[in-house]
Amino acid sequence: MSYKCSRCKRDVTLDEYGGVRCPYCGHRVLLKERSRDVKEVDVK
Amino acid sequence: MDLRVIEKEETMLSIEIAGEDHTFMNVLKGALLETDGVTAATYDMNPEQSGGQTDPVLTVKTDVDVNALDALEAGADRVMEKADDFDAAFDAAA
Amino acid sequence: MTQDYEVEFVERSDREARFLVRGISPAFANGIRRAMIADVPTFSVDTVRVIENSSVMFDEQIGLRLGLVPLTTDLDDFEVGDEVTLSIDVSGPETAYSGDLVSSDSLVGPADDNIPIIDLKDGQRLEVEADAVLDRGREHAKHQGGVAVGYRHLQRVEVVGDKGEFEDDETHILRGVIEEQAAEHVDGDADDGDLVLTEEFDSDLTKRYPGKELEVHDVENAFVFHAETDGSLSVEELTLRAVDSIRSRADELRDAVQL
Repeated sequence: MSYKCSRCKRDVTLDEYGGVRCPYCGHRVLLKERSRDVKEVDVK
Repeated sequence: MDLRVIEKEETMLSIEIAGEDHTFMNVLKGALLETDGVTAATYDMNPEQSGGQTDPVLTVKTDVDVNALDALEAGADRVMEKADDFDAAFDAAA
Repeated sequence: MTQDYEVEFVERSDREARFLVRGISPAFANGIRRAMIADVPTFSVDTVRVIENSSVMFDEQIGLRLGLVPLTTDLDDFEVGDEVTLSIDVSGPETAYSGDLVSSDSLVGPADDNIPIIDLKDGQRLEVEADAVLDRGREHAKHQGGVAVGYRHLQRVEVVGDKGEFEDDETHILRGVIEEQAAEHVDGDADDGDLVLTEEFDSDLTKRYPGKELEVHDVENAFVFHAETDGSLSVEELTLRAVDSIRSRADELRDAVQL
């Protein structure tokens, strides 16, 4: 799962063992980035 | 255009016209009332408040010597004639 | 028996017009009005593919706004259900406007270029592909070509006498179009038979016929249509297509009856 650290703004990849923490600066607030998929929306 | 005959006699016709609304039905009714031999013409959009059924039901009554189905055809012809004449008048002005 | 219609334009521009039709029944007039609103199809965006949207609005909100942009529609070349793809790609700081939409077909494109879609701040970007489909106003209001369509009776003002000396000079408000019948009582240029928009005299009859006792009558079977389109087609096209849609339904009915 890819996230972005809210303090140092670096991309962070989390595995299931590391817990929620930025490996670069230790900050515990991570932001989920929008997926790069193309999203189709029906405007009806 | 799907038609379903509900009742038919020589001088009386009751017919359901699927997919139409007031836009066409009222014009048709108006044209029928102007047609020779038609004594009564009306339509009902929601017969008997029937469960969700809202296709209009047209009822036409005619003089003894006029067939109701022919009258309906004449009514449709008249609507087309109105449309053509409006087109011509509008084009002349535009 | 043929119908004797007479059409006369009172006011006319690209998107708005007023025209008088004489000899038309209320039923037919209303049929045309309803068809102009709900039955003449126009293009409108109805599916969007969001490639990037880092703006402050949700994809659905952007989609809704794109759907409401009027698109020029040429009904000779398309039929209901046809699709045309448009795309938009704007990077902030910049406002994305309807004019930024690029169409794959030169016949279909935004009728106005200055409708804001979203204000993008520095670093934000909007890249979207949108499919426009040709459909009718009765499916969704965004497909309506006629935005404001209505009609009023043509009116005739009759001068029946003079007002009493001590009578109140209250305003007599009238809207629509009048057919001049009492030109001799009007200051300035006026001839009987003129079609006069009431706005020309501030919609106040006492300004046109000061000190007169008046009666206003509707002229039977004479209706003044006032139509405004969203720019996807002209008023003339809208009106003729509306009449044509009624005609084709009558044609269909006749064919069905003959079977």
